[in-house]
Amino acid sequence: MAATTATIVLPGDLIPQDALPAPQNKKKVLKLGPGLRQTPPTIISASIAGALVADARKGSAWIETNSGRYTPTANDLVIATIASSAGESFNCTLTPHTPTALLPHLSFEGATRKTRPILVPNSLVYARILTASTQVSPELTCVDASTGKSDGLGQLKGGMVFGVSLGMARRMLDRRNGGVVVLEGLSEKMGFEVAVGRNGVVWVDANEVGKTLAVGRAVQEVDELGLGEKAQRKLVERVLRGVA
Amino acid sequence: MPREAEISVNEREFILKALQESVRLDGRALDAFRPLELTFGDEYGVADVKLGRTRVIARISCEVTAPLPERKFDGIFQIITEFSPMASPAFEVGRPTDAEIILSRILEKAIRRSNALDTESLCIIAGSKCFALRADVHIVDHDGGLIDASCIAVMAALQHFRRPDVLVEGEKATILSVREREPIPLSILHQPLCVTFSYFEDGERFLVDANMAEEQVRQAEVIITMNRHGEVCQIAKYGGATVDPLALLNCNTIALQKVKELSKFIQQKLEEDVKKKDKGGLMAELSAENAR
Amino acid sequence: MAPEASLSHLHRADGSATYIHNGYCIIGAVNGPIEVMRRDEMPEEATIEVNVRPAAGVGSPKERHLETLLHSTLRSIILTRNIPRTLVQITLQVRSLPEEDGTSGVNTSLTLLPHLLNTALLALLSASIPLRTILTSLLIALPTPTPKMKQPVPILSPTSTELFRTQPIASLHVFAFSADRKLLLSESEGTFKYAEWEEAYEMAEEVCCRDQGGVGLGGGEGMEVDGEEASANLEEWLRGVVRRKVEVEQRWRSAT
Repeated sequence: MAATTATIVLPGDLIPQDALPAPQNKKKVLKLGPGLRQTPPTIISASIAGALVADARKGSAWIETNSGRYTPTANDLVIATIASSAGESFNCTLTPHTPTALLPHLSFEGATRKTRPILVPNSLVYARILTASTQVSPELTCVDASTGKSDGLGQLKGGMVFGVSLGMARRMLDRRNGGVVVLEGLSEKMGFEVAVGRNGVVWVDANEVGKTLAVGRAVQEVDELGLGEKAQRKLVERVLRGVA
Repeated sequence: MPREAEISVNEREFILKALQESVRLDGRALDAFRPLELTFGDEYGVADVKLGRTRVIARISCEVTAPLPERKFDGIFQIITEFSPMASPAFEVGRPTDAEIILSRILEKAIRRSNALDTESLCIIAGSKCFALRADVHIVDHDGGLIDASCIAVMAALQHFRRPDVLVEGEKATILSVREREPIPLSILHQPLCVTFSYFEDGERFLVDANMAEEQVRQAEVIITMNRHGEVCQIAKYGGATVDPLALLNCNTIALQKVKELSKFIQQKLEEDVKKKDKGGLMAELSAENAR
Repeated sequence: MAPEASLSHLHRADGSATYIHNGYCIIGAVNGPIEVMRRDEMPEEATIEVNVRPAAGVGSPKERHLETLLHSTLRSIILTRNIPRTLVQITLQVRSLPEEDGTSGVNTSLTLLPHLLNTALLALLSASIPLRTILTSLLIALPTPTPKMKQPVPILSPTSTELFRTQPIASLHVFAFSADRKLLLSESEGTFKYAEWEEAYEMAEEVCCRDQGGVGLGGGEGMEVDGEEASANLEEWLRGVVRRKVEVEQRWRSAT
């Protein structure tokens, strides 16, 4: 995390120019991430409490926090629950008590009008958010539009889901800076499948109840105790001893 | 209408499969309670119970009123349970859910109708003055096991509560404030506690203290209330598959053991609190611990 | 005495806070943004629902009145237009009150109000609901002038024992300020002159907001000073609470 700096801000705090990444050239515009808002022309202020993170290389700034409800954002990978099937699409929930997201029947690999996927209510899918805005409900897809391949998206069969904090889900999907080594460590000695949803859901399938639980609980423990890399390796050893 | 989110197919299948191997998600034994925490507030009659991630606060308050005309020699005792959206957005104010109604009925049967509290002792002057006691149950965090946790909270709060002393001279009664005279504990006749059994596989497998996910998957529940002497106060089973009488007897045995443990735990916490309130005693207690 | 606060300790709610000050203990929880009931839906902005639940008994007109005050105040700081057609549900559960609360002979809805406002803000911060600004709130009591003391000294966030002892109280004032020193709420009761109200207003502003120059990141020095938890300034206190929360969230970075 050398490229980033952190300052703690509260809603309403004005972010001075020097705390934001300087534009390297005219074409590159500053990108404001979650928690920052602009009052035209140049005032930038925070709207949530957390650590201000500025990434000079990407020319972006955002506020990092690990609490609150998941807000759907385009391109996020999520684990959605099918609520119902209506006409041309499935209604899916990303978090409880929020309006449903749409997952068209044709947004699956190899799906045609004649061969539609059949998903019963309350089944799980691993999907990408195609569009999200405050005005319309988000749209999901389980297929890459350019290649027509699923790339690992689609229905999640079997296994078990484990809830983690939003920050943990972000870290797990950020291979380089996330600092999560527990899954790599475990995978050296046992085989399992994992899907991480940005909505704070981790799906694990290791074929056996004990192993699935061991993996899921290890991830939750890393999250809850804020374990560093060394502590995670220790945890891996402990878990492997327990499973073997 | 907001509803509680349903559990996914994957979770349902996994939990059931794990149970066939006698494994629970949090690694507990089938007949084990989650870690229980009980704390008391600075004031009398507030008990804060944490059962795993479930958290319930019970508060006892009292005032002086006229007794009911048909029960001249009894005080009044009420248990009020109202869910708030704090525990889940599915709980709406002023619109009780089924779970809320069941909870209040069970507490009513378990504590009030089993005469856990000696209401006669709340009478000040027969027919004209008595104490009206109320127990407010606040559900703060909800992860299943509300009935067991609420019952522990109410019973602990009742034992922790002190009511003001009264001076009766003929027809005249004076309530003595806390400053004038030490308030007195309630007269508790026995200590009923609830143990909820969730069953699976047509009554083949019973779980104690199911959490939210397990509650959503279970076939039905049997709620047994008894005190530590093994006197059953009530048994409730709302629908679901039939249960073998022998299995029910077995549940009773487990319940008795659990209730004994819980009673002991509550007693221990109450004693600790008394020591904490008594400043001199606290110092003595600390030095004794250091010596060890 | 600075209030004690802990954030995000409930598991079900999206945001939560427990606030303890002067014998008051309030648990606040926020759910949101969640689906709103059709009849409450607003096309351009979020609906806000405030529930105040008393320690004993069910809600009475007093709680409804407090809810109305909280609703209008919080509405002005929540960026409702950023999350249209959703619901932000705020539940405030009074856990304990000071023993003398009912006996000090003053309006108990005013003594409770600043604590409710502070708890609600903490819970909103914990839920990461977009806010325009933060809010700090305070109670000030003005004692009745006596022959001995013509100009009584106002008491800042009096404890209920103080209220009980300094009878009679001439007036009670609750103020709430935003970070940029704007007055968000002013509720007063009793008899008082405008000059007295103004004095109380200035005192409250001094305690609620930090130095003008310190608004924004420029005041960073204040945040670096660690261990200053007993700071009398409410905004400094709030920053301390948030800093501790962020530290806990980020501890994996420094952990080994």
